[in-house]
Amino acid sequence: MHCCSHIILLFGQAICTVGDNCYRAVTFLKEGMLVWILFLLCQVGAPALAQDLCQRDAPNGYKVRISLKTALGEDAYEWNQSEMFFFQATMAFAMRRHFQMETYNVDNIILCVQTSRVSFWFVVTSPDNTTMLIPKADVEKAVRMSRHRINNAFLLSDRTLEFLGIYPTLAATVNPDTPPWLIVFGVVIGAVCAGIIALLVSSLLQKRRKEKGMTEDGQDEEDMQVKGVENGINLDGTYNRGFTDDDRFTKL
Amino acid sequence: MGKDATRAEWDNPMQFVLACVSYAVGLGNVWRFPYLCQMHGGGGFLIPYLLMLVLLGVPLFYMELAIGQKMRLGSIGAWRAINPYLGGVGLASVVTSMYLCLYYNVINAWSFWYLFHSFQSVLPWAECPVNSNLTGPVEECERATPTQYFFYRETLDISGSIEENGGIHMGQALCLLLAWMIVYLFIVKGVKSTGKVVYFTATFPYLVLIIYLIRGVTLHGAINGVKYMFTPKMEQLANPTTWINAATQIFFSLGLGFGSLIAFASYNQYNNNFEKQAIVVSTVNSSTSIFASIVTFSIYGFKATFNYESCLERVRLLLLNTFDLAEDTISLENVNHWIAELNRTHTEQFASLGGRLETCDLEAELDTAVEGTGLAFIVYSEAIKNMPVSQLWSVLYFIMLLLLGMGSMLGNVIAVITPLSDLKFISRYMSTKTLNGLVCLFCLLLGLGFTTRSGNYWFTMFNDYGATFSLLFIVLIEVITVCYIYGIKRFEKDVEDMLGHRLNCYWKIMLAGVSPILLIALFIFYIVNYIQGGTPTYQAWNKELGKSVVTEYPPYAQAFIGLLLASSVCCIPLTALYTYCKKRNLASGKRERTVSTVSL
Repeated sequence: MHCCSHIILLFGQAICTVGDNCYRAVTFLKEGMLVWILFLLCQVGAPALAQDLCQRDAPNGYKVRISLKTALGEDAYEWNQSEMFFFQATMAFAMRRHFQMETYNVDNIILCVQTSRVSFWFVVTSPDNTTMLIPKADVEKAVRMSRHRINNAFLLSDRTLEFLGIYPTLAATVNPDTPPWLIVFGVVIGAVCAGIIALLVSSLLQKRRKEKGMTEDGQDEEDMQVKGVENGINLDGTYNRGFTDDDRFTKL
Repeated sequence: MGKDATRAEWDNPMQFVLACVSYAVGLGNVWRFPYLCQMHGGGGFLIPYLLMLVLLGVPLFYMELAIGQKMRLGSIGAWRAINPYLGGVGLASVVTSMYLCLYYNVINAWSFWYLFHSFQSVLPWAECPVNSNLTGPVEECERATPTQYFFYRETLDISGSIEENGGIHMGQALCLLLAWMIVYLFIVKGVKSTGKVVYFTATFPYLVLIIYLIRGVTLHGAINGVKYMFTPKMEQLANPTTWINAATQIFFSLGLGFGSLIAFASYNQYNNNFEKQAIVVSTVNSSTSIFASIVTFSIYGFKATFNYESCLERVRLLLLNTFDLAEDTISLENVNHWIAELNRTHTEQFASLGGRLETCDLEAELDTAVEGTGLAFIVYSEAIKNMPVSQLWSVLYFIMLLLLGMGSMLGNVIAVITPLSDLKFISRYMSTKTLNGLVCLFCLLLGLGFTTRSGNYWFTMFNDYGATFSLLFIVLIEVITVCYIYGIKRFEKDVEDMLGHRLNCYWKIMLAGVSPILLIALFIFYIVNYIQGGTPTYQAWNKELGKSVVTEYPPYAQAFIGLLLASSVCCIPLTALYTYCKKRNLASGKRERTVSTVSL
């Protein structure tokens, strides 16, 4: 009821400046009545004024939707007037954070059209002039800036505390310098290369060992021939040694 | 004789059986059989399937093993030995196997890509990436689903149609290189290295399948899928397509006609008891199909239930938000009751909801039957991302896919290499390692074509036309050759020589009578279907709509399809003609030479 006290003070000041010497007693009574009438008007008028500013589908207002049971399940707290006050305070904080010069208060956040879904509308009035609404775009900027803080205040997330019309900025996908799949690929292909090289080298070594073994066995071949084993088949009879090195003896 | 003494052999018969199992049990068991089961009446499909196994699958499997073990040569040499005019059958098998080698390893490359991408805190196909100004998800991803977006955009970077070529996708090319290097590692020492590898590739997938079965049936909603699958719809048995699909599935699942079985059997001991092994491998293959489909359907059921419940949740939120009711008034169970209630009480407001109100139907979710790469990489990964500890399940699943694919790949590559290494002019100049390396390098370079932006469309073309029709023709000629040209009597004698006992009537009747008739029927059906189908079409991914649209192949692609079909089939008559001409030249040459010596 900040506005009412302001109005009464101003009016009072206006009355007193008219004149100090004029009909003090009568004016005092009149003042009293006027103050009382003004007070009544304020009580009725202020919310009526606020009601005009905040309504369903207000041009400068946002609808908020809260899903407590989805977010917290068994640990969900009850949404009551205290929580509404907390919301006003959080929004005032968000506005202050964005517009650093101006001092927003809880009274500047007006809530209305509350439903059992838990959804409601809110508008933000300017701290200097309570009849003036802050434009939608500025409210959006303020909410975006402090979205994380607002969410955490209520133990909710972007999905369970929705400001209809303000889309959350999605976290940018982290692109590491080396994609992780390339690392795994490198490991596997390295292992396969090592395997292939190992197999090829081992078979090469085996072949060389066999060849070395063959040249040592090569001298046995002649003996085998001598013993009458030719082409793996045992020939009957003994081989006549006289005919092996024919060329050595015949020197012509 | 000398050749036999130096020919490599399996260390023990177990290696041979495991190699056959590893080859036969492949990706088709996981992604084709469950689809067929769903399309053709669930449990009822098992009747035509098992019948075709007995009538068609086992006898033909037996025949191929017998040929390989007897001739002790790869497919080209074996068929040339059976009948010199029909050596083209072996050549056709090699050509078809070559086509299969080219495109099959691309699937392994995709499995590697998905496997490597599973090592992240959030699976990349679980959510849409954010667009450049951070306001929302990327549009293409929003119109489609995140799993589809990841497959079509990030894995394949697919273009709009087969005509639009693009550059090579580097990640895919690297994965393909890795896949071919692993194949080379497995076959570098020939049968010696392959024999050790198959212990792992044949048995580990079963371990993963069992783990997945336990995980699958304990998932929420899995029972819906399994019930849906096993409820038989007997009226499907009256549909001839059911029987045709059962025969085709048995045929392709066992890998007949590629020459792999002949190649594997050629490394056997002469007296190996392949009869028992043939029955064992065929039975194992079919049982694996049924087992894998239980796993697949429990995952289907989980996915369908998840989608159904998400749909209900969205409808519930919509109702709560529109009518501003308290959160606990509507629960998932009474959503439908509330829809009726609100329609009655707030008719105007309800009408304003309009199209935003979805109808949630569990049956419709279960009815979405998918097969092939769509099932393996889109549907399955969608189900996996919703499981708890999804990274672990993702890694396990793609390792299983890799093992199944690699096992089949071994058979495919050996089917190409064995006949080549039997050819004298190659074995004289090159060692086995060099030949293996060259074949792998050749297939890798050609396979890079499938990693371009339009590569997936060429892949589908090869998958649909490269090996289907030609195989039927090859196996038909094989059966007719063995039973009527070579003669069932000679075949019987050969088998008796190897096994020690005669062919019993079952084999004789099936091989000489039932199987050829069934094959001819299948063959005629394929031709009729192809002609009736009109212009061949394919599914092109439309970026704007976020889904696949049916598009016709351009003329040059249709010509290429014709080339694919003709190139393997024509080998048979062309080789027969070539052999005939060579024999005539040889005969006339001999006559000329005898004349000249006499004149001297």
